[in-house]
Amino acid sequence: MISDYLEALAAALSFDRTLSQRVRQEVEDHLRQAVDADPVGGGLEAQQRAIANFGEPHAIAVQFAVVSLAQQTKRVGAAIILLIAGVFVAMKARVAWYAIMRCAISDDIKIVSGIIGSIDRYSFWVSVIIGIVGWVYVSGYRIVAGSGAAYRKQLRRFFLLCAAATGSLVISVVSDGVLTTLRLPGAGLSAEFLVPIFSMAIEIACAAVLVLQIRGITQRATATAALLKT
Amino acid sequence: MHSMEGEMLKGHLDMIVLAPLSAGPAHGYAVIQEIRRRSGQAFDLPEGTVYPALHRLEQAGWLTSRWVTAESGRRRRVYALTRHGDRALTERRAVWQQFSDAIGSLLAGTRPRGRPA
Repeated sequence: MISDYLEALAAALSFDRTLSQRVRQEVEDHLRQAVDADPVGGGLEAQQRAIANFGEPHAIAVQFAVVSLAQQTKRVGAAIILLIAGVFVAMKARVAWYAIMRCAISDDIKIVSGIIGSIDRYSFWVSVIIGIVGWVYVSGYRIVAGSGAAYRKQLRRFFLLCAAATGSLVISVVSDGVLTTLRLPGAGLSAEFLVPIFSMAIEIACAAVLVLQIRGITQRATATAALLKT
Repeated sequence: MHSMEGEMLKGHLDMIVLAPLSAGPAHGYAVIQEIRRRSGQAFDLPEGTVYPALHRLEQAGWLTSRWVTAESGRRRRVYALTRHGDRALTERRAVWQQFSDAIGSLLAGTRPRGRPA
């Protein structure tokens, strides 16, 4: 009977394997202790009583899911800042390399690269500002005990900020990619361009990780919302 | 003593869960037993609600936890108050005391001695 209960609880939290395992072990220990302490003994009735006192598995799973979602939200908030910083470092390293190598832009592409460079700059700083706002917003509020409308509103705002920051960063990385590509044909694939290509790879990786983080938190929020509905 | 209303307990769940841990580290089952003992069986909340609260307080940095192996051989999660959690409990205790004094005085038809919370 306890095993069935634990299965039901773990299944409801299956979207997070680590949480599911931890909760299962913790609850199992609790229920076994409750059965051992039951004055009647460790029979089926004692198990039933322990489970009844513990509460309905779905209701417990919902509470864990809400707490877990709040934790992941904070992690994503911090990840946004770190990943944007990663893109910034890669960008600056490439610019410094161009300066060291005295790699100038040819006159043919000066106007185009000027326009793309502006798009790159503005979109990057927009992502920085929105990212910081999102991080401060998500770090500022305490995890609420329930799953009320206020919390859902906070989450929606945070997701919007995440999406805006990610969108701006992707535009910036794409612009960087175009600028780097424009510089490449003249020199060919020489060692001189290993640093720009490597820095672009870092930028793309940072943007991709950020997109995956947003996707992950969206999936988690959907799973939690589904649990709340059932 | 009458069992306390569920909503009333939920509003003070953090304080209720933190208080037993002020005596020292304990696992979830022991926390629940201590809540029952200290409240004279008045707090009859579903036992399962204590665990998400413990997880939430751990995330807030008010508790730390670690796995230990019990005599039975089962793995057991033991929680302990952090300095931050201890401070939070002290603050909540003071606020509650003010509130309790004010309500007590109000119901007795007298003016509260301190500033109400």
